[in-house]
Amino acid sequence: MTQDHASFLADGSGHLLLAGLPPGPLLALVIILPLAGLVPLLLAGPRVGEWAAMTLAGLGLAVATIIALQVWWSGTPAIYHLGGWRPPLGIALRADGVSSVLLVMSAAVFCGIGLFATTGRDRKTSFPPTYWMLSLCVASGLNLAFLAQDLFTLYVALELLTFAAVPLVCLEGKAAQLEAALTYLLFALLGSLLYLLGAVLIYAETGTLDIGLAGQRLAADSAMTGIALALMSAGLAAKAALFPLYLWLPPAHAGAPPAASALLSSLVIKAPIFLLLRIWLGLAPADLAERAAPVLAILGTGAILFCGLRALGQTRLKLLIAYSTAAQLGYVFLMLPLVKSSGPLTIPEALAWTGGFLHIVSHAFAKAAMFMAAGVIAEALGHDRIRALGGAAQAAPLSVAAFAIGGLSLMGLPPSGGFVAKVMLLTAAIQQGVPWIAVVVLAGGLLAGGYVLRVVVCALQRPEASATFVQISLRRQAMALVLAVAAIVLGFIPLEPMGFLLVGRP
Amino acid sequence: MTGSIILALAGAGLVGLGLYGVIMRENALHRILAFNVLGGGIFIVFGFAARRGAGAGFAADPVPQALVITGIVVAFSATALATAIVVRLAAARDEEHADARSAKDEG
Amino acid sequence: MSRIRWGVPGATDAAAADVLLVASVAVPLIVAVALVSKGLRRHASWLLLLAPMPALLAALLVREGTALVVLSPPFRLSLALDEAGGLLLGGAAILWLAAGRFAIAFLRADPSCNRFLVWWLFTMAGSFAVFLVADLASFYLAYALVSFSAFGLVAHDDSAAARRAGSLYLSLTVLGEAFLIAAFVMLAAGTDQANPLIRDAVAAFPTSPWRGAILPLLLLGFTLKMGLFPLHIWMPLAHSVAPAPGSAALSGIVVKAGVIGLVRFLPEGLPVPGWGAALVAAGMVTAYYGVAIGLTQRHPKRALAYSTVSQMGVVGVVLGAGLETGDRAALLLAAFYALNHMLLKGSMFLAVGLASAGGRSGRRVGVAAMAMLGLGLAGLPLTGGAFAKYAIKVVPTSDAAVFLLTLSAAGTMALMLHVVLLLLRDEPKAGTSAGLVGPCVALSVIAMALPAILFQAVTGNLPSVVLSTGAFLGALWPIALGGALAALLVRLRDRIPEVPAGDLFALASRLAPAASRASDLAATVDRALGRWQVAGVAILGLVAVLSTVMIVR
Repeated sequence: MTQDHASFLADGSGHLLLAGLPPGPLLALVIILPLAGLVPLLLAGPRVGEWAAMTLAGLGLAVATIIALQVWWSGTPAIYHLGGWRPPLGIALRADGVSSVLLVMSAAVFCGIGLFATTGRDRKTSFPPTYWMLSLCVASGLNLAFLAQDLFTLYVALELLTFAAVPLVCLEGKAAQLEAALTYLLFALLGSLLYLLGAVLIYAETGTLDIGLAGQRLAADSAMTGIALALMSAGLAAKAALFPLYLWLPPAHAGAPPAASALLSSLVIKAPIFLLLRIWLGLAPADLAERAAPVLAILGTGAILFCGLRALGQTRLKLLIAYSTAAQLGYVFLMLPLVKSSGPLTIPEALAWTGGFLHIVSHAFAKAAMFMAAGVIAEALGHDRIRALGGAAQAAPLSVAAFAIGGLSLMGLPPSGGFVAKVMLLTAAIQQGVPWIAVVVLAGGLLAGGYVLRVVVCALQRPEASATFVQISLRRQAMALVLAVAAIVLGFIPLEPMGFLLVGRP
Repeated sequence: MTGSIILALAGAGLVGLGLYGVIMRENALHRILAFNVLGGGIFIVFGFAARRGAGAGFAADPVPQALVITGIVVAFSATALATAIVVRLAAARDEEHADARSAKDEG
Repeated sequence: MSRIRWGVPGATDAAAADVLLVASVAVPLIVAVALVSKGLRRHASWLLLLAPMPALLAALLVREGTALVVLSPPFRLSLALDEAGGLLLGGAAILWLAAGRFAIAFLRADPSCNRFLVWWLFTMAGSFAVFLVADLASFYLAYALVSFSAFGLVAHDDSAAARRAGSLYLSLTVLGEAFLIAAFVMLAAGTDQANPLIRDAVAAFPTSPWRGAILPLLLLGFTLKMGLFPLHIWMPLAHSVAPAPGSAALSGIVVKAGVIGLVRFLPEGLPVPGWGAALVAAGMVTAYYGVAIGLTQRHPKRALAYSTVSQMGVVGVVLGAGLETGDRAALLLAAFYALNHMLLKGSMFLAVGLASAGGRSGRRVGVAAMAMLGLGLAGLPLTGGAFAKYAIKVVPTSDAAVFLLTLSAAGTMALMLHVVLLLLRDEPKAGTSAGLVGPCVALSVIAMALPAILFQAVTGNLPSVVLSTGAFLGALWPIALGGALAALLVRLRDRIPEVPAGDLFALASRLAPAASRASDLAATVDRALGRWQVAGVAILGLVAVLSTVMIVR
């Protein structure tokens, strides 16, 4: 039992039964739990494996929720030192407000996607055990990336994620998918190696890989620090498909089967983004962060505007959604110039912080819903050409509704999580006197409105007389709707700008 | 010039070569090889960092050594996965060509 | 300012008032959901009558100034009934009621009637909400609800034209929402709350550091919905494709969301001469521009759409004059005129629908109603329109503006006669007027009478002032002039080319090649960024840029 654990119990701020649960080991559990599913998947038949995987997904959600509740009630981050060894030698896991929210987000979306994946049209199109193994690895990698505290463990988490995500792209083994997977893998590797090089330089500078310790030791005036941070950021930007490094994203996310696309576009991409934010809002010296923030925000602007424009120009639904992912992720980087990397935050800064992370969460729900809905629409119509979507509203009404509701959050219309996030970012930008960020947020909303509504308008058209539809069960359509509605419900969570999301902020 | 500096320079050189190969080579296998060169360079630089850490007061710094080994394992898995995809891709392409040809013959 | 009483000065107790306000918004939404059920769908015509009832009762019975908090902060949702909102709420309820009856009969044979009714009910709920909500976020939500739901009214027909009109409507709506959210965020930032009451936000406006930006954004956002030049382009396109009852709701009610927006958000007691004059100018240009283009139209509904554009120009002049002087009374008068237009234009679209789809007898009634309503809109003495026109004449600051406003009635008269002639020229089509005549005639009668009934309560003047000789003659000469203009145009009619619907939009469509070139350029850049070497160099470039900004001081 570690000291932090003991102090958590001692201050008595935990509640009820949960107080008896040690928070630390739960952090390790939430990482290991999904991997336990590999055993039944390898040993038992696909049906048992599928069932086991879903059970573990549910358990994962429960554990993540308990962690989040504990962090919320105690108001302090939960920390676990593996084997009781403290940094710099040991490895720490730490769940602060943001991490625990992301844990819950990924577990919840993961459950939704999993339930969707169990509803194949028939057993033939239901997913093979490989899918479940890979997606469990993704879940584990995500949790590790959200909790790990040292740069090398994070490197391993990112690689684990990539290795699980790449085969998801080419699950069906078509040449185009394999090609997309190869580009994805190679570009992600390039990114990881640059990140690793940067991490190595940080180690050379500070003698530690722990983010907290390194952050205290980094010297702002050393050229090496700057180069190290630049290498890590560029590597992570490549993995996060930040403009202009998004070449791998559209083919990979659009080419994968719908359940895999949803996983990749809503969750996997969030790990490198989260890490980028950790670096600039936790590791980098304040002075350097202040100077690099505009560069990253400009790239985010490029993503929002250029990828939004390209999303408008797409003719295939899945490609449109993939480009929209590349565009939406740009918003996260707009928050960097609005938040300082250390010290207590003012209210406008806290607004930007909360808005940025709320955007990450609501995008995850909305985007998973949209990819699943698009997959069902394509199954029903036999294609996903946007111009010929007429009749989709009759053939798959719940899916079109899910797409539209998810799109509502993307466009930042009320009531939705996306709306609240957008208003928070706008308010922060205006109050801090950075009007160009407000303009970009608004312009991005316009573009999102354009590409979402274009699809909805086409889907509401009546079908051509010759069109034939495949009947899709309501059960298969329902999951997307549930996730889309969750993105709306996020708009009703009373978020105090200085509240939960700031717990444990460095 | 001490040995550690030579080591660092060699690592940096490998990183440069690897980067050039990764970015400029068209062939996927070449790129994969270049990745290994790049990775090797980074591990050598890491070794150099260990020497510096040792210079800073530790008798010896075991952390980078341990991490380099992990890194090599990761790099190995990456190489295996990438190569597997390259092989599958080649097979899938052959198959699609064959399908297209037979479709043409029938048509 | 006297209290406006719609009628029964009922002693409703506070609880009943609260229930009525909430039900005004909730009942249409509940009915919309109920229509999903096949069993309830058979009773659609009764449900459609039920939906606007609470709003009508609220407008009649609930005391102005009633406010209630439905949800407390942080999800503040508060409703309040003020004078301007009450006027428009009551008018909208009457119009929804009549147009709903009309729609049931009009779309009787349409297989996708139910879909139309669902959009209809959502638009209805949004319109009632927008007249009632008192806090910023709820207003934005209500405004978005009425705006986006109206898309279903525009694009009901399954045609390329409907799709085009619907898409243009949606694009401009999204644009308007962007202007408004920017303005609202700045308004809220000026207060110490995340979601202030509109009243508090507007009160904080004079001291807001962003007031220079807020006002133009508000004006852009709301005048876009009202259809002021040059943001009117969606209106004629939408009206040429929407079914008649849909047009009635669109022109009568949806555009009034823009009016209530300006009424609620324009700063109170703070003269802003610059922007006020700009709004007056935009309104005046729109008033004449709408008439001029409308006179060239060959499609009666499109001509009516241009008449709506022109009339909203008149409302814009009134609001602009109020902004110039900071006079609160002008805002209420603008709402009064908007109410007059709401009912008249709603009835006109029903009359045109009746004339086109109601067979021979329907055509007779429809044309007669249209002619009568046209005279009302032009302000013929003794009609309600004359009272509304008289009421707004006090607002503009300069004599020239008053004269131009009066003269615009001549244009309206000519345009109305033009519409009547267009209707007469069409061959009567086969059809039945069953179920169409009743709502159309009833609504027309109410529309002609109501402004006269409310005149005293709104302006505080006796109705007899409108009937004085001076006022009588002042209202008559534009009508005579308009009649003469219409007679002249009949001779020229075939020589005047029809301005394509959505005039400026048709011009803007010529820019389409440029837009597609831009899109091609983006695609080219996209392809370039998709090349491995380019991306590889870009990643190194990013390393270089980031390290440079950090290292170089």
